[in-house]
Amino acid sequence: MKQFLTIASWEFWRNLRSRSFFLATFVSPVIFAGFVLIAALFYNQADVEQPRVVGCVEFNTDAYCQMLAERLNRYLTRAGTAPDLILVKIQPDTSAELAGYYQQLAELKSKHDSLDQAYNKIKQRRNYIFRQAPSRKRERLLRETYEQLHKTREERDLTEIEYNRMKAVADSLMRQALLQKADSLLMDQVIEGYLVIDPDYFVSGRVEFHSLLPISFLRIDPIRQVLQMMILEQRLQAEGITESKIQEWLRPVEILKFEVQGSQRREFNFMVSYLAPVIVVLFLFTSIFTSSGFLFNGVLSEKTNRVIELLLSSVSHLQLLAGKIVGLGCLGLFQILIWIGLTYLLTVGQVIHPDQVDFLTLRNAGLFVWYFALGYLFYASIFVGVGSLFSDPEDAHHLNQFMRILSILPVALALVVVVYPNALFVRILSFIPFLTPTIMILRTPIVDVPLLDYLLSSGVMVVSFLINIWLGGRLFRIGSLMYGKKPSWKTVFQLMRAG
Amino acid sequence: MEIRVEKINKVFGEAHVLRDLSFTARPGEVLGLLGPNGAGKTTTLRMVLDIIKPDEGSILFDGQPMNRRIRAAIGYLPEERGLYQRASVYDTLLYFARLKNMSRKKAQVEAVRLLDRFDMVDRMEDAIASLSKGMQQKIQLMVALIHQPSVLILDEPFFGLDPLNQDLVRKLITQARQDKKTVILSTHQLNEAENLCDEIVLINYGRTVLQGSLSAIRERYRENLIVVEAEGNLQVLKKLEGVRKFIQERGTARLYIDERIEPQEIAEQILKMVNITRLEINRPSLNDIFLEIVQESGEAGP
Repeated sequence: MKQFLTIASWEFWRNLRSRSFFLATFVSPVIFAGFVLIAALFYNQADVEQPRVVGCVEFNTDAYCQMLAERLNRYLTRAGTAPDLILVKIQPDTSAELAGYYQQLAELKSKHDSLDQAYNKIKQRRNYIFRQAPSRKRERLLRETYEQLHKTREERDLTEIEYNRMKAVADSLMRQALLQKADSLLMDQVIEGYLVIDPDYFVSGRVEFHSLLPISFLRIDPIRQVLQMMILEQRLQAEGITESKIQEWLRPVEILKFEVQGSQRREFNFMVSYLAPVIVVLFLFTSIFTSSGFLFNGVLSEKTNRVIELLLSSVSHLQLLAGKIVGLGCLGLFQILIWIGLTYLLTVGQVIHPDQVDFLTLRNAGLFVWYFALGYLFYASIFVGVGSLFSDPEDAHHLNQFMRILSILPVALALVVVVYPNALFVRILSFIPFLTPTIMILRTPIVDVPLLDYLLSSGVMVVSFLINIWLGGRLFRIGSLMYGKKPSWKTVFQLMRAG
Repeated sequence: MEIRVEKINKVFGEAHVLRDLSFTARPGEVLGLLGPNGAGKTTTLRMVLDIIKPDEGSILFDGQPMNRRIRAAIGYLPEERGLYQRASVYDTLLYFARLKNMSRKKAQVEAVRLLDRFDMVDRMEDAIASLSKGMQQKIQLMVALIHQPSVLILDEPFFGLDPLNQDLVRKLITQARQDKKTVILSTHQLNEAENLCDEIVLINYGRTVLQGSLSAIRERYRENLIVVEAEGNLQVLKKLEGVRKFIQERGTARLYIDERIEPQEIAEQILKMVNITRLEINRPSLNDIFLEIVQESGEAGP
């Protein structure tokens, strides 16, 4: 017992004073916080100080873009924040050719209007003449105005045909010019994307959105909602519903979000519910791998330095193994305590808002430490066996890196776990030893995890650890004295049997 | 403490590393565990230290199997040496002393005493990595001695040492013998063993090829050969009584004497007959004996 404590204390203090521990405990979180801060600053800059600009292209519609922009602005400012999305109408760069077409169109329009006016005047005059008493003069005038009317109508109709033909050409050119302009603005990153509203939008309910950035497609929901409202209003108006009724019916619904956790409920907070568990998992993994990394490197360097033989001449391999695992486990716990203490100080200093860490209850903190301990013992018992098999540090470090990557992979499942924390699939994942610490730590602050899951996952981890330490111990006993060649799988199985 | 090793056997996979090895190391004696590299010396020592278990046989310390008290009474200098490079000299000594069940206070006193004896007090706070190789070897010796063990197990103690440290180790072994400690010295340098050991166990490929006290072995393998270098006619020596074989090469004659006659007697006669420049009564070295035994048994492999 005395020697076991001597080893545990040696491992604890020796590694506590190491540069690696300082880096993992203080520098890594600062770098991590720095990245989060930079990302947050960038996000705030991008979203608040520089709102995203989306273009709006419309053809032959009457100021829909303008209307949509005003409605969107009202919709976004309703939440009490500055709008982070601005809609601007795209104006075309008119070419000389297009300008010529529009000049001609205007002339044709004016000609058509004046012919139409003349035609109406002739018609009025004929009505007047027609109401006069029959006379030779009346007959003559009726004949003359008939010819005038016929001629004017023919000329007006021809002008209209010419106007429509030219308008079709001009519209096509205009559409092309508008889309070209929108594309060039998109390429120059003046706008994030643009909407294309066709004249039949109110009938088809279909609007196009063009963008270069995939993320833009996820962020146009406010536009979709406002367009939906507009089309609804339009259709209701068409059905003869009054404006006041429409406004009353379409008043937005406000949803207050509360999360229920056992007997407690609290207002939903993205940071607390989703981000915090992932951060906690990352920190606990840092701790697990700091401690088990020390253990791995310790066993490896003692083997490479040949200190192991000196140690094994003084204590049994079980005492040595237990002393190392417990000493470094205490170091991991100490690291977690440092982080909890720092979090407390940052909360007192109001750097972190208390709401953001209110998931760190005594119960949750206890569960985190429990799953840290189980995770550490599980990985440490693997690392100690693996570390004792190698004598070439390079080979061993490759394997160590591979193990780390393998074990951090569960963080990739975080998205599924935080969205469906009690789904059957997630519950099954909780009972796979490699994943248990990550998944259970992710689930704990999000949802009321069934007691059975805690008991079963803990049981699985304890049994896995006992199997691992039994096998790891056998490998360590013989493997730590083997030098030279790389062990084959056959040798590993032989050692496990013989250990 | 008497260490009695009885018919130990060890098999690793398909290799029979040790076969029926037996010996006894007694207090006040230096037992040499000798043999070429790969003979099984380190495996034997690891089994004595209970680092690995024998498949068969027993190892008893004053009639008892290994226990915590016995483990704490053994000082070990392994063949493959190394220390925690980042730790200080003082912390390293304290740690290994504490592992041998010494109290902190006693360990502190003993560490300083040893550092003083090895003239290294001024380096006690330095990291091991900052020391020269020779100094690191001294620390390794101190680690083996700090708990004042009654048994010293030294595996290839001269390996990698500079002449000064080699001499230091020789003195330590001699001192340990005087202090009635049990010393097991494992080495492939048979000339060192010849000078230091009282008893030897010579093994090759896991088998004992020669065992006993050094004087008895020398007696058993005495080769009655006299080598003479002299001026003048050496052929006269051929007629000496008891010379069964005579070989002359220029000024050197090799006289093989009958086993029943003491070479000393013949030597005295030679001195009277020729004007010698060199006269040597040849005593076979352990190395010669080992080679002779291996050649005779035709053992080239396990």
